[in-house]
Amino acid sequence: MWRKKAISMGLIAIMSVMAACGSTGDNKPAESAGGNATAPVKTNSPGETDKQVTITVWDKSPDDDVFKSVLDEIYAEFDATHPHIKVNHVASPPGTSVNEVFMTANAGGEGPDAFQNASFPDIRDWVKAGVAYDLSPYWNDYADKDQYLPSAMEQATIDGKVYGVPADMYLMGLMYRKDLYREAGLDPNSPPKDWEEFAEVSQKLTNTDKKQYGYALLGMDWADWFFEYYVWQAGGDLTTKNEDGTITLDFTKEPTVTALQYWHDLKWKYKVVQSNVAQNFDDNKQDFFQKRAAMMLGSSDMFGDFASNGVSLDDVGFSSLPVGPSGKAPSQVGGRYWIINPKSDKEKQDAAWEYIVYMNSKEVHDKLNTFRLDNGIMPNLLSPRKDVNPLEFTSNVPQDLVANVQKAAGDTQLEYALKSRLSPYIVPAIQKVLLTEKVDIAAELKDAEEKAQREVVGPYNAEIGK
Amino acid sequence: MEKVSLAVPLKYRKKKRFPILAALFLVPSVLSFVVFKYVPMLYAIVMSLFDFSIMNPPGPFVGLSNFIHLFKSSLFQTALYNTFVIALLSLVMTFWIPILQAMLLIDIRRGNTLFRFLYLLPAAVPSIAAVLIWKWLYNPDYGLLNAILERIGLPAVGWLNDPAIAKFSLVLPGVLGGGLAVLIYYSALQGVSREIVESSTIDGAGPWRRMISIYLPGLKFIIGIQFIQFLATAFLAFDNIYVMTGGGPANSTNVMSLMVYNSAFKQNQFGMAGAISFIIFAIVAIITLIQIKVSNKE
Repeated sequence: MWRKKAISMGLIAIMSVMAACGSTGDNKPAESAGGNATAPVKTNSPGETDKQVTITVWDKSPDDDVFKSVLDEIYAEFDATHPHIKVNHVASPPGTSVNEVFMTANAGGEGPDAFQNASFPDIRDWVKAGVAYDLSPYWNDYADKDQYLPSAMEQATIDGKVYGVPADMYLMGLMYRKDLYREAGLDPNSPPKDWEEFAEVSQKLTNTDKKQYGYALLGMDWADWFFEYYVWQAGGDLTTKNEDGTITLDFTKEPTVTALQYWHDLKWKYKVVQSNVAQNFDDNKQDFFQKRAAMMLGSSDMFGDFASNGVSLDDVGFSSLPVGPSGKAPSQVGGRYWIINPKSDKEKQDAAWEYIVYMNSKEVHDKLNTFRLDNGIMPNLLSPRKDVNPLEFTSNVPQDLVANVQKAAGDTQLEYALKSRLSPYIVPAIQKVLLTEKVDIAAELKDAEEKAQREVVGPYNAEIGK
Repeated sequence: MEKVSLAVPLKYRKKKRFPILAALFLVPSVLSFVVFKYVPMLYAIVMSLFDFSIMNPPGPFVGLSNFIHLFKSSLFQTALYNTFVIALLSLVMTFWIPILQAMLLIDIRRGNTLFRFLYLLPAAVPSIAAVLIWKWLYNPDYGLLNAILERIGLPAVGWLNDPAIAKFSLVLPGVLGGGLAVLIYYSALQGVSREIVESSTIDGAGPWRRMISIYLPGLKFIIGIQFIQFLATAFLAFDNIYVMTGGGPANSTNVMSLMVYNSAFKQNQFGMAGAISFIIFAIVAIITLIQIKVSNKE
């Protein structure tokens, strides 16, 4: 009896983890199930057309969302102009990441028909996972297709097929606290232009007595996100995508070593970064909001966070990233795509496309920007659409911010290929270098490259070869 | 020849009767258990044999290649090592604390209820909240622990950002003990005869002798059960590691349960995640069986 009980207890414990990562979804196509499982059974009210299609979209705003009123208005207009489509607006389920929530929902056959949160770096993995429908037939007939920036379409275009429509986009730049610049006797309108100047300015902004440091370095498990910018600034990248689709690792190339040496110097030579270089991005933001960090990297759509954390936009500066030895400093472009569920039936997919076209129209973008202007909300200064000009809605925003975001948009670059699978190899090397004063940087990178080549890139390239 | 009756005596017949009513009451719980525990477990094992596709399950059959890939992977080897080290550290640093607390508690007459209440109270705090509090305590610049060290003239410690001590820092909160385990041990100790305890005291047995010779043997059974539960929890630890370190720095706290999550939800490799889950299951099952064998021999 005791033996059985004990075995059962062991089983129960392990099953909890398995259940957490396992999938129990009987993932039947929507058509065979008579429609998407999340969509309610349609009940026609008088006056509705007989062929009304119901789609589910995860875009319900919470009651305390400042945009709720304008979004409800936009949704109502869609309902009025598209009586043959009923949109079931559902709040995105809670979870630790978009990927987790979305994948879990799809595994259970509960994925939305249209979804606007497929991030630029993730969409390739999502296409591979089969959760993004090929939108090429819709896209080819789309009247506004030439209105989208090529840089916004790049990640969603795979092997000539279009899988996503850009909902919004941002670019990364250097954010700095003008008030701390003034306190340190620095010109708040003259952010550092290159690595050398950046280190000098960071030293002046570091004040250990006040527990204030110059630059919030990102050394957590997303460290490669910002580190790759420094590799670009040094004239390289972490990977090269070859013409035949294979990948070459560049971890041991000169620009990567130079960039990591610079990060090491910021920590150990100049001593201008936080003690806990492995702290997460939210902690970095909190340090920046609370004047503990004078500079950090941030995105052009992050300005809204400042107001909600009691930081005046007049105290915040945004500039292009400081250039490195290559004399260049491309900004990373990110953003989110609308995608359509491949498992939805054709009618729902058509309806979802109509909804995306409407929500991505110039009229809706302008309406949202007008609402922001009227309510003193900072607009996203970058639009994936050429015919939407956020600058027309920026009278309440410091104009130097607007100008600097536009300037940073002049030179952009996308994140390195195979990022999600290579992160676990390059990030520990970065962290080890940051956390160890006397370290052989080239050796750490060589070790990471050898492992990544053997365990990820080698098999990946072999797969491409087939 | 004496006739031998083949009829089963009434008292035995009663015992053999199937308890239909009890079984009926058990049906919902057993069904839920099978549906929500065993089915996912078996499904995870099936997943491990495929390059699992969530949209068109199960995807291409790959046999044992997920397992072969894992055993060759440096990341998995690191995670396996870290899992064992953290489990061992937990065992050495924390497993015995609630036992000791319960044995001390049983000898406290005045204020016993208050102490029991105080020990149990932290169990009502959501574990994630407790983890966040510890994360703040560990902050190298603004955390309380380094402030205390600084006050007494000791250098600051990189609790969570030094690969050499990050594992230790993850386990350290458990040293406070308390929680439900203390009450379980305390309840078991109440089964120990007070007469034996009192007569041993009269015979001159001090607290240490009473602990070794009377209380611990009295707790043997419950310690065995708690040990299995403890090991399973240690091998499946996820929340505290995910929140405090995310597996870093430099992979020093990357454990198998975290690898399950990352494989599934960061890299969309669900087959691989199933394979790691199965390996965790196998490890815990083997350790549990060994523990049971040892207990039975004793």
